[in-house]
Amino acid sequence: MAVIRSNHRIAAGVYRMTVSGVPLGRAGQFFMLRVSGVLDPLLGRPISIFGADAGTGETTFVYQTPGRGTALFADLLPGQAIDAQGPYGNGFPLESGGAVILGGGIGVAPLHQLAKELRASDPKRRIDVFLGFREEAYCVADFEQLSDSVTVSVGGIVTNDVDFSENAVYYACGPAPMLHTAAEQARAANARFFVSLEKHMACGVGACLGCTCETTNGRKRVCKDGPVFEYSEVQHVL
Amino acid sequence: MSYNPLSLELCGVSLKNPVIAASGTFGFGREYAERMEVSRLGGICGKGLTLRGSAGNAGERVYETRSSMLNSIGLENPGVKHFVEHEAAFMRSLGPAVIANLGGHSEADYLEGAELLNEADIDLLELNISCPNVKAGGMAFGILPETAADITRRVKAISRHPLMVKLSPNAPDLTAVARACEEAGADALSLVNTFLGMAIDVKRRRPVFDNVYAGLSGPAIFPLALRMVHQVCKSVSIPVVGMGGIASAEDAIRMILAGARAVQVGTMTFASPNTLLEIIDGLSAWCAKERISNLQEICGII
Ligand SMILES: Cc1cc2nc3c(=O)[nH]c(=O)nc-3n(C[C@H](O)[C@H](O)[C@H](O)COP(=O)(O)OP(=O)(O)OC[C@H]3O[C@@H](n4cnc5c(N)ncnc54)[C@H](O)[C@@H]3O)c2cc1C
Ligand SMILES: Cc1cc2nc3c(=O)[nH]c(=O)nc-3n(C[C@H](O)[C@H](O)[C@H](O)COP(=O)(O)O)c2cc1C
Ligand code: FES
Repeated sequence: MAVIRSNHRIAAGVYRMTVSGVPLGRAGQFFMLRVSGVLDPLLGRPISIFGADAGTGETTFVYQTPGRGTALFADLLPGQAIDAQGPYGNGFPLESGGAVILGGGIGVAPLHQLAKELRASDPKRRIDVFLGFREEAYCVADFEQLSDSVTVSVGGIVTNDVDFSENAVYYACGPAPMLHTAAEQARAANARFFVSLEKHMACGVGACLGCTCETTNGRKRVCKDGPVFEYSEVQHVL
Repeated sequence: MSYNPLSLELCGVSLKNPVIAASGTFGFGREYAERMEVSRLGGICGKGLTLRGSAGNAGERVYETRSSMLNSIGLENPGVKHFVEHEAAFMRSLGPAVIANLGGHSEADYLEGAELLNEADIDLLELNISCPNVKAGGMAFGILPETAADITRRVKAISRHPLMVKLSPNAPDLTAVARACEEAGADALSLVNTFLGMAIDVKRRRPVFDNVYAGLSGPAIFPLALRMVHQVCKSVSIPVVGMGGIASAEDAIRMILAGARAVQVGTMTFASPNTLLEIIDGLSAWCAKERISNLQEICGII
């Protein structure tokens, strides 16, 4: 059981919650969050690790509230408990060399921890970040601390800003159309590109087969075998 | 060593407690073995198998509804042979009783599957004639007493394992199906599988699932499942394993009071993976508090 340290609004319908009492995970991994004891809504909600702080032992999430489950999270107060199962799934690989990070909307969440880990694993590498938002930008300052450049587009098409022909490894998380376009560009440029996928999940651990996805290497569970995949493996479902 | 008030015997198999992980909600035990003490469970029922395996259904597969969920997994599984060669021994190594769940698209599938499972070191064979998510076969076998009895008789004739037949709550006359399976030689019955349900996406004005209908499970179905378990327990004399929406030790006690020897828990494991263990602890505490020397004493007293 996790204890909430802070939980506040950072943009319209977007919240940032820090908890203690859960094992620290890696960039791209997620927790199944649930208000404990409540049977409606029933299932945990998969929420990525925005930040895992080895110093304080705390984990931070940034989440939107599209429906009933996440709306309940927004009402929780510091000191209250939240059921946080995880960390689940495989994280982003930390490839050597320059990195280009591409986030759309709430998809920025796992990429922040990724930028942190990329920076920590090689303080000299170049990290360029491209963030796209529909109406309002958030978490931009968090990325500025960790990267060489941050390009923000609000209401535009963020993939238009990205050149996939750099000598770098590309990482993305965001809405399906964005990932689709990015994958096309990555293929044209023959880039190394990792994406984090979203699927409805019941268990989050690989037991229910609710999140199976056909890949070029056979059927995989997004929760257990992903959520991070090399784009070429899942391009046909993007 | 003190006497274990939760111990029981089911079709000649000793279980250390009556709490079993339900088919399709626990894989073959691997995933949860990484994160909980699965050895404490009474039993584990593996994912539903079909002879040649299956990729399962396309489209959305899980969808939350009020205190419940719909699933349209469609029996995605690696096939009986893979289970026999790669999963059965692992399940055995975990400690709890091992139950294999066998589905099928045709009678020949069931028979060949049961034959192959004779090679496996399992404790019980659960015959799934109640999966609502496959087009051919599945639930079709469990809807009418005659077809249910027929497949039960044929599988019983060739299987070396005790046979537990898993019933569908969607049968128009459930107790008739239950009696028919008993007469055909079933050693035990388990129920309920999921209720046929539906979800519609209002924004897209379309059904959520490619198959249109899907299986409903979770706490919301508990009162329906309890009633059905009670009715079936009144109609047969073979052991019954009760399931459907169990979320607490109290729910498990209710099932046992209604006549179930043991229980299976499915959907709640997704919501809260510790539920199975909490139920076991709750049952122990209840027996101590009520000064019950063995939980089976209250089985079917209602
Ligand atoms: C691996 C992974 C990581 C994620 N990380 C984040 C994150 O860091 N921050 C964030 O805001 N969101 C994240 N999401 C999306 C988030 O899980 C959904 O927004 C959330 O589940 C919606 O729940 P709800 O109660 O608001 O909506 P409801 O509509 O009430 O949810 C109903 C059901 O549908 C599921 N569902 C609905 N939308 C989604 C979706 N987009 N993806 C998966 N399941 C969904 C819910 O989990 C629930 O089971 C992530 C999703 C995945 C798969
Ligand atoms: C995702 C999912 C997959 C399931 N797969 C199977 C299966 O393969 N075979 C089977 O007999 N029952 C299957 N079931 C049904 C459960 O074993 C159980 O009968 C049902 O869910 C009711 O119990 P519950 O409310 O505790 O989940 C499945 C249920 C769910 C939710
Ligand atoms: S969510 Fe259950 S297998 Fe992925």
